[in-house]
Amino acid sequence: MSTIAPAAVKPLPEWRRFRFPQSLYKYGAVLGAAGFIWWSLDFLRIDVERLPGILGRMFDVLSERYWPPQVSRVMESGYIEAVVDTFQMSYVATVVGILIAIPLAWFGSFNMTPSRRYLYPVARMIVMSCRSVHEMIWTILLVAIVGFGMLPGTLAMTMFCIGFSGKLLAEAIEAIRNGPVEAIRASGANELQVFVFAVLPQVRVAWTGIAIYTWDVVFRAATVVGFFGAGGMGHYLRESVQRVESQEVAAIVLSIILIVFAAELVSAWIRARISRAIA
Amino acid sequence: MRAGAADLTAYDLHADQISAWRNRSRRMRYGTYFMVAALIAWSVEAIVIGDTDWDRISWASMFKSARQFMDVDFSILGSLLTPAIETALMATLGTLLGLVLAVPVAWLGAANISPLGKFSYAFGRALMTMSRSVHELVWALIFVAAVGLGALAGVLAMGIRSIGFISKTVAEAIEDVNPGPVEAMRAVGANRFQVLLFGILPQVIPVFIGNVIFEWDVNIRRSTIMGLVGAGGLGLALHRQMSAYNYGGVATVLLVILLLIIAGEIASYLARRAVI
Repeated sequence: MSTIAPAAVKPLPEWRRFRFPQSLYKYGAVLGAAGFIWWSLDFLRIDVERLPGILGRMFDVLSERYWPPQVSRVMESGYIEAVVDTFQMSYVATVVGILIAIPLAWFGSFNMTPSRRYLYPVARMIVMSCRSVHEMIWTILLVAIVGFGMLPGTLAMTMFCIGFSGKLLAEAIEAIRNGPVEAIRASGANELQVFVFAVLPQVRVAWTGIAIYTWDVVFRAATVVGFFGAGGMGHYLRESVQRVESQEVAAIVLSIILIVFAAELVSAWIRARISRAIA
Repeated sequence: MRAGAADLTAYDLHADQISAWRNRSRRMRYGTYFMVAALIAWSVEAIVIGDTDWDRISWASMFKSARQFMDVDFSILGSLLTPAIETALMATLGTLLGLVLAVPVAWLGAANISPLGKFSYAFGRALMTMSRSVHELVWALIFVAAVGLGALAGVLAMGIRSIGFISKTVAEAIEDVNPGPVEAMRAVGANRFQVLLFGILPQVIPVFIGNVIFEWDVNIRRSTIMGLVGAGGLGLALHRQMSAYNYGGVATVLLVILLLIIAGEIASYLARRAVI
């Protein structure tokens, strides 16, 4: 349209965000999404007529059967020992998992891997497969193989930790500057020396943060692995759930929430301190 | 540089400070190493020596138990199709619920647009932490208790669990929006809602969609275990095979779970590429 065209001849059409074909697509998409949701609710046998008022009913159930939480249950000495066990499992799993994840992250980072053809895909595959299986499924498998106790829980969380931290550690390596790497390499260093002297100093801070964050995620998982027989607080949760002692369940769930929250605060505090100390 | 006497003293003082700082940081470093090692020793002792009955476990017994999983029982494959679809649908509906619930939480928890200032900001942040810091299994238990067995509990658990991640990343994206469009909207007389809708929303939509796709991918993984506590899907099939000690069947269910997760990963990769 040129600037001097007689604008008054044609009245401007009413402004709309979506014109004819787009508006049709838009309504089609909305209709399709609604249809999909309807179909999946039906497939999952979720009773749509019962959905309104669900909040009220949930509140009734929780307040009648789960309130008040039976605090004496979580004050038993056995439970407190289980909390310590949980901490120990998460700690060992994190340290061992990170130690295994470090070489995997090195081999699985596209810029620093010693061999892009062989090591890179293998390391990526290992990390991916640890990641793609949920930690509870690892627990069930390892309990079936190793038996009940803290050992299978620790092993399961080690797998989880490899998958979780391996990806983050590798991403930290992929973000480093290439200058130091080239400088070290130019002085005749081999791959390991390049990793130790050019990569490690650059990722040290990021990795420390990742390690602490990983611990906090692993700890959250550790509170429930006991549900499948792998030691820690989850074991008490399962006992109370099976005996339908709802008020005990409420107490244990609340204690898990509080402890995980405390762990998260501690982890955030340490991470903040480290980043302050470095800066 | 020529140093006079006074400069030299200053220099010595500075060197002293540096060496003191170095000693202190070295002491701190060794102290940290020692603590890490001591904690490891204590924990490994408890796990490997205190809690494990090595008389009962041997390589042979472990190998035998692992061997049982190798006889994959393909006869139950047909009965797993419905639970597999259920799992995927639960993850999808859970993500949709999380997405819907995450919008108001992100609105509360973004410092620059939080409606009641500090108070609602703290409330929004607390909601995010609450949602994230409870394991999905615990959420599932809570909702199974509240609404009964079935897929609804799983959908609700994953929806609540997803709020944290989606709203946190979106709130951070809202905090870094370019203020230009916001000011422009305000300058033409938009009210708060219109500023949100036309000034902020278009800028955060890509982050939002990317994170929702990511969360969907994670939710598929989560929904495979929801059935273990009675919330439907493949977890329920896993639980049944496990209770029947049919290890071949367990292996089959695990294979189906793996396939579903791989399919989800491919789908989320394609979706992310299509959108972004």
